[in-house]
Amino acid sequence: MIKSVEEYLDLLKIELKDSDAATAQDALADAEEHLRVALASLREKQPEVSEEEALNQVIEQYGSPEETASAYREVERRTPTGLVREVRAQEGSAIKRFLGVYDDPKAWGALLYMLISMITGIVYFTWVVTGLSLSLSLAIFIFGLLFAVFFTLSLRGLALLEGRIVEGLLGIRMPRRSTFLQKDMTWFERLKTNLTDKHVWLAVVYFLLQLPLGVLYFSVIVTLFSLSVSFMAAPLIQSIADFPLLSIGEMRYYLPSWSTPLFLLIGFLIWTITMHLGRWIGQVHGKYAKMFLVTD
Amino acid sequence: MVDSSVLTKKFQKEMNAGIASLVLLSVLDKSDEPMYGYQIAKLLEEYSGDASFMKQGALYPVLHSLENSGLLESKVEPSVSGPPRRYYEITAEGRETLVIWQGVWKQMKSFVDRAIKGG
Repeated sequence: MIKSVEEYLDLLKIELKDSDAATAQDALADAEEHLRVALASLREKQPEVSEEEALNQVIEQYGSPEETASAYREVERRTPTGLVREVRAQEGSAIKRFLGVYDDPKAWGALLYMLISMITGIVYFTWVVTGLSLSLSLAIFIFGLLFAVFFTLSLRGLALLEGRIVEGLLGIRMPRRSTFLQKDMTWFERLKTNLTDKHVWLAVVYFLLQLPLGVLYFSVIVTLFSLSVSFMAAPLIQSIADFPLLSIGEMRYYLPSWSTPLFLLIGFLIWTITMHLGRWIGQVHGKYAKMFLVTD
Repeated sequence: MVDSSVLTKKFQKEMNAGIASLVLLSVLDKSDEPMYGYQIAKLLEEYSGDASFMKQGALYPVLHSLENSGLLESKVEPSVSGPPRRYYEITAEGRETLVIWQGVWKQMKSFVDRAIKGG
């Protein structure tokens, strides 16, 4: 007999230990929502039934931890994540694989992620630094406690949001649900649970590091993009307008016209390599995000 | 000899795999407002009467999968009496898909009925 919702969740967690961490987090959040709502509604209708008995009636309908775990595994197996789809180019020749990156939504997604990560990085950093310093300085007041609880809860929300961006753009499976805390807790207990939860702190580290990482990603992408565009545009602009590659005093240096295809090719190669680099960074970043933001 | 109840359970599970998506889409299509998991489970309990076709816990992964395919949308809203609830709503794409699926189901149903009756 399962005695409490927490016990059910623990058993479900054990059942799902070999599954994807994000699937497990979704499953736990769903089970917690359902069991608590169902339990409350049953207790309201039949107050004479004991809490334990009511819970077991609810579980009987919801499914045992084993049954629930197997339902998630089954559906997960059939569901593709985010943007990801099979890329046929993977099986082709080396050139096909090299150019296949243009057909890979993960590469485009990763480039977009690297561009926006500077903005999200600034937002996360500002929020975390402001929140931390206000929580600390307001700690001497009673309402400082409320603020600290609000701030730690907001971190969970931000972690979920970042997870959605990571899954959407990088194709790494992340939680679709946030974990939430029990309702019947005092503000102080809530704060204590949040402060002792290592995921809250991991999320803080992740959000702080997101600023330097975001700036780095943005600079790398913008630099490589400009470089590749310059290579491709220089010979073209020179042929349309009288715009030399270089001018020192009276001397003007132009590219010889035979080199035009060469420069176009170099620009194209730089961009293609950038796409590969972006895809690789995206995958590495996705794994890193999963390590820091997903509850195990 | 394999226990027939085990075989029946397996058969039921395999059938549920596709039907659950059709049922959930239909329920959300008929509903005027977004519904949360427990509400949907209760409604299905009413429809199924005494027979229980699937565990309520098995509905949620299907809801996620439908949402992931863009057929459903969801939003979390805090509730007065308990943890926040996730409300699901059918999308325009979901409605289009449902019409096609209902057609497939009708054909499938008449095919299976004929096969069982034998002509």
